[in-house]
Amino acid sequence: MNVLIVEDEKGLALEMDEFLSREGYIVEHAWKKASAEEKIFVNNYDFILLDLGLPDGDGFDVLKQLKNQKDRDDAVIILTARSAVDDRIKGLDGGADDYLAKPFSLNELLARMHAITRRKHKLEKNDVKIHDFVLDIQNRTVSFQEERVPLTKKEFEIFNYLVLNKNRVVSRISLTEHVWGDILEVNSDSNFVDVHVKNLRKKLTQCTKTDWFETVRSIGYRINY
Amino acid sequence: MNLQAKFSLYNAITKIAVILVLGLIILLSIEKISYHHLDNRLTKKRLKVIANLNDNEIDNLLRAQHTFTDYNILKDEFIVLTAIPKTKQLDPSISFTTERREIEGDIEIYRILNDQFEYNNKRYKLELGETMTAMDAVKNTIRFYMLVVLVIALLVTLITDYAFTQFILRPFYKIIDQKLNKVNDPIAYDYENIPTTTTDFKFLDNSINALMRKISSLFSLEKQFIANVSHELLTPISILSGRLENILTAENLPIEHENKILASLKTLNRLKVIINSLLLISKVENEQYLKKDQVAIQHELSDLYEDLEDRIIDKKLTYTNNVKEDFVFTGNQALIHTLLINIINNAIKYNVVNGTINISDELSDNAYILKVEDTGIGMEKENIANAFNRFEREENNEKEDSFGLGLAIVNSIAKFHQLTIDIKSEKHKGTMVTIHFPL
Repeated sequence: MNVLIVEDEKGLALEMDEFLSREGYIVEHAWKKASAEEKIFVNNYDFILLDLGLPDGDGFDVLKQLKNQKDRDDAVIILTARSAVDDRIKGLDGGADDYLAKPFSLNELLARMHAITRRKHKLEKNDVKIHDFVLDIQNRTVSFQEERVPLTKKEFEIFNYLVLNKNRVVSRISLTEHVWGDILEVNSDSNFVDVHVKNLRKKLTQCTKTDWFETVRSIGYRINY
Repeated sequence: MNLQAKFSLYNAITKIAVILVLGLIILLSIEKISYHHLDNRLTKKRLKVIANLNDNEIDNLLRAQHTFTDYNILKDEFIVLTAIPKTKQLDPSISFTTERREIEGDIEIYRILNDQFEYNNKRYKLELGETMTAMDAVKNTIRFYMLVVLVIALLVTLITDYAFTQFILRPFYKIIDQKLNKVNDPIAYDYENIPTTTTDFKFLDNSINALMRKISSLFSLEKQFIANVSHELLTPISILSGRLENILTAENLPIEHENKILASLKTLNRLKVIINSLLLISKVENEQYLKKDQVAIQHELSDLYEDLEDRIIDKKLTYTNNVKEDFVFTGNQALIHTLLINIINNAIKYNVVNGTINISDELSDNAYILKVEDTGIGMEKENIANAFNRFEREENNEKEDSFGLGLAIVNSIAKFHQLTIDIKSEKHKGTMVTIHFPL
């Protein structure tokens, strides 16, 4: 899958590039609105990660230009440090698939991209396998050898997020933000997520051995696969 | 009293005064004019009588009796000649009087000329009378019609005055309404002049426009500044956290470095939360949010319970929601949600294990009151007043993950919505937060 990163902050673009390349995406860059529009005109992308504040114009214009072209199915995720409430609505109304406020975690970006892929391609195989567990993303259930594991909504979200980011440490902060959203100061106290992880692990362990579900020295979690 | 009513009242009062004065003058002058007229006629008649005087005539006049009286048929004139003795001094002057006289059973008011003269060594007193009844009737008629006309004129001018001032003042009220009352956001201000031919209103309109231009340029500068700050601070954080996340994926990362990197990510998150909180506060204080949502408090409470449930269970708290009223408030839904979640989160965070949280409400005459009570660690009295200040944390507060911005956010959101918040607290016993929503 190919991704176009439209971002004038080279430092950030390069980090996203490195992260996504490792995930197997083919990444291209555009630093400016003009070059972004040129690239979009020439190529089709699976994903366009679009910054709004570009040095030579507004990212919304790029979005508009893309939507004016026929038969385009590029998924657009708006990335912005502009925190205006209206921008989110404007972006989604303008045809963007998602909206991520800076600073965001790369894990979160990846999770959003996975979600869009599933939605866009209406994956017939909506199931994700991890060890002997099967996650039914559509119905948000987990089963083990055809038998349903009784997880709560939050526990499923945590499991899903960790599976998406498998083989990577997911910090509590990132996990909290993904599952509970961005409630500012309220989430500064993120230790309560442990309770959910503890319960999740207990339920999974009742089915089989889960030594692949790692606690990373009191800072985060990792699922190895 | 508004301007229009004042103008109309003033006009009415001055008109009544002018009319009264005019009416008085007219009535008085009618009387004067009619007397003058009558007196002239009587004087002329007297001259005629005197000129035609001769012995015969007088004898005729005085035959048999000592007075002579003559009327015309209509009794509107009479002449009386009386002989008077020579004892008194002769008064040659002519005087006029207005008197009631009974003539053949009819009493009427007459204007009477009195004269004394000597003729052939004899003295006579002459009275010439002319009725004033006709005059009075005319006077009364004039008075009546004048009154009617004046009252009608007064009413008509009052109504036209009222209508006219309304017409004249309409642009003024339009300016007040559209340019001052209905302006929430100076950015969305309509600079179009309200059509008027009154230069004063044009001046007012233009002055308000100029003022608004100034305000909105300052306002957008402020907005721009906030947007810039958020961009300039949040983008570097974004780069740093991306970089750290990438480092974390390295296979052969020593454990102690991994720890440090995760700790750095936590610090970055803290920075992000602080910046976002400050941005939120400053945006609320700059009124950059709309207040147009219908916010159902019940619904918000059950919504945020879902978000906070885990923490409540984690601390084994007894959470009771006794809210009975279906109160709906017009405001910003996201902000009200943030306000409530911060207050209730504090009740959880500063509670003791196995403590309770009780939410109740009450509807008074002028406010809806929501109470959040907890059995937490409470606050010292002197700290309550400072609780709403930014970065204010109670001393010896062990919670390192609190930035002291939660209540500052609550405070600015409350001010934005004109809510009042009271905190009652007792150390080691608990805290009660009361939110007053004005009706």
